[in-house]
Amino acid sequence: MIRSTSIRTFLGGRIGRSFWISTVSISCGLVAWEIAARLWIDPFFLPPVSTVILGIFELIEKGILFGTIGISLYRILVGFLLGSIVAIPIGLIVGISITARAIFDPYVHFLRFIPALALTSLFLVWFGVGEVAKILQVMYATAFIVIVNTATGVVTTHENKILAAQTLGASPWQIFWFVTVPACIPSIYVGMRLALAGSFMVIVAVEMLAAESGLGYLIWTSKVYFKIDWMFVGIFFLGALGLLADYLWKMLGRYVIRRFVRESADY
Amino acid sequence: MGIQLKNICFSYTPASDDPLVLKDIDLTIDNGEFLVLLGPSGCGKSTLLRLIAGFDPATAGSAKVDGSSIDGPGKDRGMVFQDLDSSLFQWLTVRQNVEFGLKVNRIQAGERKNRANDALRMVNLTDHDHKFPDALSGGMKQRVQIARMLAMRPNIMLMDEPFAALDAQTRQMLQRQLVSIWSEVKRTAIYVTHDIREAINLGQRIVLMTAGPEAGIKREYAVPLEYPREQSDQVYIDLLQTISKDIEEEVTKVWS
Repeated sequence: MIRSTSIRTFLGGRIGRSFWISTVSISCGLVAWEIAARLWIDPFFLPPVSTVILGIFELIEKGILFGTIGISLYRILVGFLLGSIVAIPIGLIVGISITARAIFDPYVHFLRFIPALALTSLFLVWFGVGEVAKILQVMYATAFIVIVNTATGVVTTHENKILAAQTLGASPWQIFWFVTVPACIPSIYVGMRLALAGSFMVIVAVEMLAAESGLGYLIWTSKVYFKIDWMFVGIFFLGALGLLADYLWKMLGRYVIRRFVRESADY
Repeated sequence: MGIQLKNICFSYTPASDDPLVLKDIDLTIDNGEFLVLLGPSGCGKSTLLRLIAGFDPATAGSAKVDGSSIDGPGKDRGMVFQDLDSSLFQWLTVRQNVEFGLKVNRIQAGERKNRANDALRMVNLTDHDHKFPDALSGGMKQRVQIARMLAMRPNIMLMDEPFAALDAQTRQMLQRQLVSIWSEVKRTAIYVTHDIREAINLGQRIVLMTAGPEAGIKREYAVPLEYPREQSDQVYIDLLQTISKDIEEEVTKVWS
């Protein structure tokens, strides 16, 4: 029975039917890949799963894999968090104050359409080859998504909440901290989730263009050595890390800040 | 003293040539009175309530509470909104919603708890105080709004069609509950509705507004009946007929 096989996750959620369906689905996908790579497709272009798994071990043995994953993850997380820390206050201010909006909006909407990648060379010149330039680019990619979502959260806070707080004797500051901020947490939460995927995209591209470490660099250089299986290892870990990060984010929403985000964490 | 409205006019766009929403409204409401504002939809009765709440300023005329002009919202005037969800703080439990006003006004923890308990008891939500609003029925949500207002002990309780979105049974039950709360706290209540029966069930005095734009006061009715009011009572039936006829006149005016 499906019910009897359900187990509890470490965060206390129930894993049941969907988990097993997903497991079967993934297994079928992997088997199909293996068979296709062995029977129909030239393994040079699509190495079978088994070869990719061997590639993982090869990269571990050479002492490359964990460092590569670590440095990419470090750049993503630091850039993502710093970007959000900068963006949330800006988003709140822009959302609340018409004057602040008039000041910041032209910059926000001009800059957010310039892809972070267009700035790679410039940042290289300005900030050098070190980590600063890379983290700044992740921040850049994160910040605008979070600013727009936060500000949208502020302006869509229902007027009745503000009015109710006023009739209850709350001061403008109290209304800001105890009504506006909590009311726009769902928007911030969703914005940061989208920005997280954005930071993965940016870091890989930056590592391909201007780095000598990281998953992007691994994927880029693998073609030089015709190591298509290493390329797949890099691609695989990007997906896997993204999936894990998104899962953790979802669990944060469902179990830690549930009272604020509600349905926003259901998907 | 109470509430005094003199020659109140209101427009959302005062500079334009658009007709006024409210025109020359004179109304005095005594302290402790239960007054119902009744009128066809769109007539501006909610707008009038918002003026008293201080959400919107009157375009012309004077609006005073106990002698001083209304200048923005204040904790002496509590409000219950029609919408079930938009005014509650959904990240707070029922009790935290009720304590919100007490907290921002820095009422001591002990006093806060007593007042919240009192308010929760009056709306029968004591056993649900740990729940979040999204786990409540529509009627319970409106009771949270009422309790949140009661906890502040405002002199004036403003209610904008609070039961309009609820089913008939719940509505009737809440009307009775509201009357008993009002008799207990002895504060002024101003209640907006378009439902004639609801108006007769609740009000000591009913003020019927004309259809907008340029809405004014058409007529006032005293309700000389004891609570709870029985629909089978002849006075009730006569009043219902009179008001229905007057409202129909207003509605026909709009459609002809």
